Amino acid sequence: MKGLIIKDLLNLSSYKTTLFLILIFCSMGMIGTDAVNFAPTFIIVMIGMIVLSTFNYDEASHAEKYIVALPLTRKEIVMSKYVLAIVGNILGGIIGIILTIIIVNVMNVIRPDDLIRLDYQGLLVTVISGIFGVALIQAIQIPSVYRFGAEKGRIQMFLLIFLLVLMIAGAGFLITKIGFDINMEEINHFMNRFGIPVLILVSAVLYYISYKISYKIFKKKEY
Amino acid sequence: MKNTIEVRNVSKTYPGFRLDSVSFTIPEGAVVGLIGENGAGKTTTLKAILNMIKFDGEIKVFGKDSKNCEKEIKEELGVVLDDSFLSEYLTAKQMNKVMKQFYKNWDEDKYFAYLKEFQLPEDKIVKEFSSGMKMKLKIATALSHHPKALILDEATSGLDPIIRNEILDIFRKYILEEESRSVLLSSHITTDLEQIADYIIFIHQGKIVFFLPATDLLENYGIVKCDEKEFQHLEKKDYISYRKDKYSYQVLVSDKDMVKKKYRFTVIDKPSIEDIMLFYVKGEGK
Repeated sequence: MKGLIIKDLLNLSSYKTTLFLILIFCSMGMIGTDAVNFAPTFIIVMIGMIVLSTFNYDEASHAEKYIVALPLTRKEIVMSKYVLAIVGNILGGIIGIILTIIIVNVMNVIRPDDLIRLDYQGLLVTVISGIFGVALIQAIQIPSVYRFGAEKGRIQMFLLIFLLVLMIAGAGFLITKIGFDINMEEINHFMNRFGIPVLILVSAVLYYISYKISYKIFKKKEY
Repeated sequence: MKNTIEVRNVSKTYPGFRLDSVSFTIPEGAVVGLIGENGAGKTTTLKAILNMIKFDGEIKVFGKDSKNCEKEIKEELGVVLDDSFLSEYLTAKQMNKVMKQFYKNWDEDKYFAYLKEFQLPEDKIVKEFSSGMKMKLKIATALSHHPKALILDEATSGLDPIIRNEILDIFRKYILEEESRSVLLSSHITTDLEQIADYIIFIHQGKIVFFLPATDLLENYGIVKCDEKEFQHLEKKDYISYRKDKYSYQVLVSDKDMVKKKYRFTVIDKPSIEDIMLFYVKGEGK
């Protein structure tokens, strides 16, 4: 399994410059807008998408057939993709937090009269929410790539994100239409208190179910 | 003598094609060529051995069941697939970093020695390699963990004769290094197999037509060219099949010396494996 992860990381090494540019872009965005929550979310989403592109590299090289001929179990092959996705997701969060803390502190030193107060709890909730969002996309995306292939999967991913946005917007619209009173304060209070463990737990469950489905698909796959 | 690969009654059905109860045995130290037209079932047979497809029947590799001992078996196998490789985006050097994680016996020195021998650049990505270079890299990768056997799917197809010859030399060297090593290679370039194979398996429409020593095919088989009168004299049991031209007959026989003596033919041509294949597929009177 380690070999497959190294292979994917080497395949992705061409993204080094892209990642560096994303970090610069996020830093500049933060400096310009003071929006401290933007950077971590953006970084998590970008890394999440980059990880998924390993499937495209495999497809372009027709690698799956060769990988199946290597001394690896099919379980290990599927597992390697999930390890990469989960570690990438967490790493994206950590980089996002570190970058935000660095930028905010640097800005506070440069502009002492216009201090930004960093809400660490809020930052953590943002990061975990980002991780959850990417986990949700990956959990749906990885099995469908195993089922339909990476090329079709890419189109499907955009449809999926579009559908998710539509569902959230639709739900919001319905709630306002019905006249249901949402107490945002209560939601925020709940999120601040239980948000982190709940989102981590749900993300873990999503990955687990997704892995089971992917393995079931991949076990039956013929080359 | 031990067997490296035993294939027993292997069947696999696809829409419009069936690999039908294929059985053969590859002894230790043998180079076996799998021939047949496109879609005859060569690749399906190799895929079954490599457990890439589900199939009915039984396959043993190194005496172990291919379904239950897949990982152990693959540790000892070198595989070259014509249309698939680990990554087009890695360099040969990076390939080493990855491959050594897969095989316990991975021999880094041997791998780099192969790269040098095959004149393959270490720092260029595979995508930029020519097809001959790609194939050589695939072979270097397949040989660097000292496999007991090699399985090669169309390893010489699409390459020019000089590169093909070089590749056949690599296989010859591999076999000479250890007597017990076996090679199973599928190819539709039968001339390559004439040079290297000890046995030939001919597969046609999902069924094995023959599994014979290559020397038998090349030394004992013959093509008789005769007129209709001479052909009428030939007993059915003495030939395999015939092809009728406008004024003459061409007849494939499996024991040319016997036929020569019995029927007093002066000239019997030596057939190539391709000729034999054609007589089996297109010939009449089988």
